[in-house]
Amino acid sequence: MTALNEIESHIPALRRYAHALMRDLDAGDDLVQDCLERAVAALPSRRPDGSLKAWLFRILINRHRDILRRTARAGHLVAIENLPVEPATPAGQDGHMALRETEAAIARLPDDQRRALLLVALEGASFDEAAAALEIPKGTFMSRLARARAALRTMTGRADSVRRKTHE
Amino acid sequence: MTQIPAPLIEEDLIAYFEGALTSEEHDRITARLDADPQAQALLADWTAQNDVLQQLYPAPDPALPDRLTRALHQAAPPTAPSWQGWRIAVMVGMLAIGTASGWIAHGIARPGQAQVVLAQAAMSAHDTFVVEVVHPVEVAATQRDHMDSWMSKRMGTDMRPPDLDAAGFRLMGGRILPSDSGPAGLYMYENGEGQRITLYVSNQPGQSDSAFRFATQGDTQSLYWNDADLGYAVVGDMPRPALRALADRVYDQLI
Repeated sequence: MTALNEIESHIPALRRYAHALMRDLDAGDDLVQDCLERAVAALPSRRPDGSLKAWLFRILINRHRDILRRTARAGHLVAIENLPVEPATPAGQDGHMALRETEAAIARLPDDQRRALLLVALEGASFDEAAAALEIPKGTFMSRLARARAALRTMTGRADSVRRKTHE
Repeated sequence: MTQIPAPLIEEDLIAYFEGALTSEEHDRITARLDADPQAQALLADWTAQNDVLQQLYPAPDPALPDRLTRALHQAAPPTAPSWQGWRIAVMVGMLAIGTASGWIAHGIARPGQAQVVLAQAAMSAHDTFVVEVVHPVEVAATQRDHMDSWMSKRMGTDMRPPDLDAAGFRLMGGRILPSDSGPAGLYMYENGEGQRITLYVSNQPGQSDSAFRFATQGDTQSLYWNDADLGYAVVGDMPRPALRALADRVYDQLI
């Protein structure tokens, strides 16, 4: 398989991930397009070791960081740490409600947690793959993922059903 | 009498849930789940999270939009620096840290107001321009002679951007920015993964030479120093040792 064909085979995964990161299909495709242009241009200088897929996700994530920085500077985003966390009313009976609530909760997750959670939840990435895509150690990835899942439960009103604390 | 094991906590369960345990560890957790309804409820919640996320963001239509197909099949430009060069660069950078840390020891003094202003201006400039897709730089590196003479003239000093090709960062170009101490120069570099770093240079007459200092602003990190009436800041979003290796390269070439 040529490198271009291999890149092409990963586009559906990139699009799905970008859609979720941007919470908008078109904006997600903009991100993927930007990522592909960079990837094709950088292909000749790519380190031959390591997974091509993780490399593509790294490029995508770097661009996502750039975009968020631009948006944040324009004052449209507030870090979650600065928001009061109000648990939503328990969802569950109403499927549509659960979708909208989760969508809103995802939007309020800190960016690093959102990137981590979506890698495993959408694409079923392994810890090793996800840690490579985010360029962080596996242990860091695991705690980031746990924090993301816990925050999501709190924001969707599920935290009270199970009270758990991590060792820390 | 059998001992009752402690309830399972999230740390045990997250690796279990994501299939990151060995089969032996996995079986051990499975065996304990029966007696732990809270852990079962947590696992059920996580499954529900995945279900909802997959419904919210379903697998895309397999037909690719034209613009993505075009992006993929655009002509690849000529080759950029090879990764072997990058690896050597990192090794050289690591060696240089040893040298630099000795040199740093003599400059423990706290940064003055002018240096702090420089670091902040450098990081703001970085954040403003690295996100630019169409106009990241004012003059592209392809017009190198023009860029050097123009920026030297505006800055009133010989301006020649350091070469970071061997570290995998290609010069994209430069621009002139206003600063508290007159025109400042900003050079941008990019590596093969689309990561960008900037080098900010401004006149700081009368400031004594200093050691490398670190500053951060959000995810953006800067290593800055003063040398021969100029202030420099290397800015990027990367681990400090990597940024340090780049700053060492810049420093070596500017002296």
